[in-house]
Amino acid sequence: MNKIETKAFVQEKFAQYYQLNSSSINPPSSMTNREFAFLLFKERMMLRHTGAKNAEDFRTLLKTVVPSDAYYSSAYYEKPEEEMEAKGWLGTDLIFDIDADHFSTPCGKQHDTWICSKCGATGRGTPPEKCPTCQGQKFDDKTWPCEICLESTKRETVKLIDVLTRDFGFSLQELIIAFSGHRGYHVHVESEAVKSLNQIARREIVDYMVGIGFEPKFHGLEESRGPSLEEVGWRGRIAKGTYDFLINTPVEQLEEMGLKRSVVNSIISQRNKIVEGRKGKGPWRIMVAGSESWKKIVQRAIENQSVKIDTVVTTDIHRLIRLTNTLHGKTGLKKTQLSASDIERFDPLKDAVAFKEGEISLFVLEAPEFRLGDERYGPYKNVEVELPTAAALFLSCKGAAQVKEEH
Amino acid sequence: MANADLEPILMRAEARVEEAILSNLIEKQSPQDDVEISSFPIAVMLAAASANSHLKRRYALVEAKRVSILLKDESEQKIAEIAGNFNWNIKPAKFNFGALTYDFTLDFSHFLRNSAAIQDAKWKLVNRLMLKGEVYLTKNEASRLLQEEVRRYIEGKLNTEVGALPQNVQERVDRLKRLFAETRGKIQSEEMPKEVVIDAFPPCIRELRNNALAGRHLSHVGRFTLTSFLINSGMTVENVVDCFRSSSDFNERMTRYQAEHIAGGRGSRTKYIPPKCDTLRTHGVCPGMDDCPRIHHPLVYYRKKLRIMKTATETPTAPRA
Repeated sequence: MNKIETKAFVQEKFAQYYQLNSSSINPPSSMTNREFAFLLFKERMMLRHTGAKNAEDFRTLLKTVVPSDAYYSSAYYEKPEEEMEAKGWLGTDLIFDIDADHFSTPCGKQHDTWICSKCGATGRGTPPEKCPTCQGQKFDDKTWPCEICLESTKRETVKLIDVLTRDFGFSLQELIIAFSGHRGYHVHVESEAVKSLNQIARREIVDYMVGIGFEPKFHGLEESRGPSLEEVGWRGRIAKGTYDFLINTPVEQLEEMGLKRSVVNSIISQRNKIVEGRKGKGPWRIMVAGSESWKKIVQRAIENQSVKIDTVVTTDIHRLIRLTNTLHGKTGLKKTQLSASDIERFDPLKDAVAFKEGEISLFVLEAPEFRLGDERYGPYKNVEVELPTAAALFLSCKGAAQVKEEH
Repeated sequence: MANADLEPILMRAEARVEEAILSNLIEKQSPQDDVEISSFPIAVMLAAASANSHLKRRYALVEAKRVSILLKDESEQKIAEIAGNFNWNIKPAKFNFGALTYDFTLDFSHFLRNSAAIQDAKWKLVNRLMLKGEVYLTKNEASRLLQEEVRRYIEGKLNTEVGALPQNVQERVDRLKRLFAETRGKIQSEEMPKEVVIDAFPPCIRELRNNALAGRHLSHVGRFTLTSFLINSGMTVENVVDCFRSSSDFNERMTRYQAEHIAGGRGSRTKYIPPKCDTLRTHGVCPGMDDCPRIHHPLVYYRKKLRIMKTATETPTAPRA
């Protein structure tokens, strides 16, 4: 099988999935006010402005279109099938997207590869600003959902849920939490309180999550005095972030960030006292530091406590978002909904697997080691292997393999 | 309207709009309560009849400010009552916090609807005490937020079409329009210069432009910001396209299309302006505000800087002997 046939294999598997599982794919709320959009396998083009009258209609669409990726509008429209200007905006859910692409993770993304579009040079990790060989600046990158990346996005999602429920007062019933099927999580808030918020108001919510525009003086931070760890909202969070920073940051990092020698010494020598301070008034007034140093420390505390969301997704009131239980065209995994209480147990690389049967022979060009379900695979380079359907589909979707034969 | 009994009301209404145009406050009041009260809807009608969006906005703002000042002397109960009329979820809450005493809590969505228009760090949600969706407010803060609600309410009222007016009323409208045009004239004469002055660009635009010229990748927001800024500073589409020429993924047709679209030459024919500083900060485009005291929009920075540069060149550098 050559590359085109591999694509046909992926498409056939997706078709099979929608034939067998469409009854378990539920349309979003207020379906008739939503736009549906489908990325097509064949032309790689987006079929926009589609509407669905009922669940039956919606499922037939998925079965007949067989999209590589299926989306719906986070917005509600009077006439979702019209062009943008004529749709008649009624409101938008509040959407958060946490994706490993948008922040650095402890794995350093060594599993990702890039290739310079100009000269063909390759490398590992996040693409550089300039190609070291030809100074070109456009790269094709191949990203992989690794366990460390996924765990980092899960931690951010847990932080997000905490802020949404404690600070914003949403109930867990108002939140839809889902693994995206690739490298992160989506959280949707469906609540009357947020529907009509404009972009400016949504930007304020983003700034709250990311800590943009945070000014210490409004949170009781003055000359090394600050709030206690038990306080609510950003007050408690800034205390916790500062505390974590002071007791956990290695000496080298303290020096690298430009803190004065005396401040670094003070932090190191007072660490035991700072740990004890946890029960009392927090990490303040134990060590000695000037206002410039405190500014740097507090900045680190904000970064530690902020939620790493994609700022554009949340402020966009016309965003298209992947449909739950549909397949991700880059992995063949399902966008999978989960409950907040299950998030720690949730295993994206197991619970989002859509195909449980069959084996496929394929030629793998290159792939890092990866896990799907309970099995580990790879790393592979120019080898022929026989893999379970889910793993074969995963490599085929990633463009890392050519299908030989289905068993 | 020709009725002589109504003359004092009409006069007072005109005076209200006039005061709004000339100063930032409406301080005067008619000694007669009935005249004062009835003059408000008439003043709204006069401002609406001007069909001048700047004048209308100005009037709404000044009236709203006045309400906010009056509210500061009202009881908490009264403030809560007025807020209730606008469907706010406001609750009394006595809560001491350091030197501050909070008097109310307000649901975050009503807070945001009104706070987002206020340019001050203290009004950013991230700098507020919020618990379970309730934002804590002092009485003065609640009055300030109500000002925004009232402003939008009046702006809504001003957006109604006014039909033909009796001559004596139309004359007043025309007089107010002339007065407004005269006061605005001073500001408009300081419009954008014909030439683009790169030295007056704000730091964010300078950085975006340097990156574009060096062929470095710009985010979607960054690209839009740079293009719309350059277009608004008077640069031609041709010169804007040239800025992106060194980019490795440069596509002339696409870049030109985008620039023309932003310039209002295509599709919806809207001319776009760059995002505000706040938006640039949110999306990581702002390189830091150290060089931008009290600036909230890149184009405002540009205009101010141009003015400073102009004054500097006009002032003789050394006194003559």
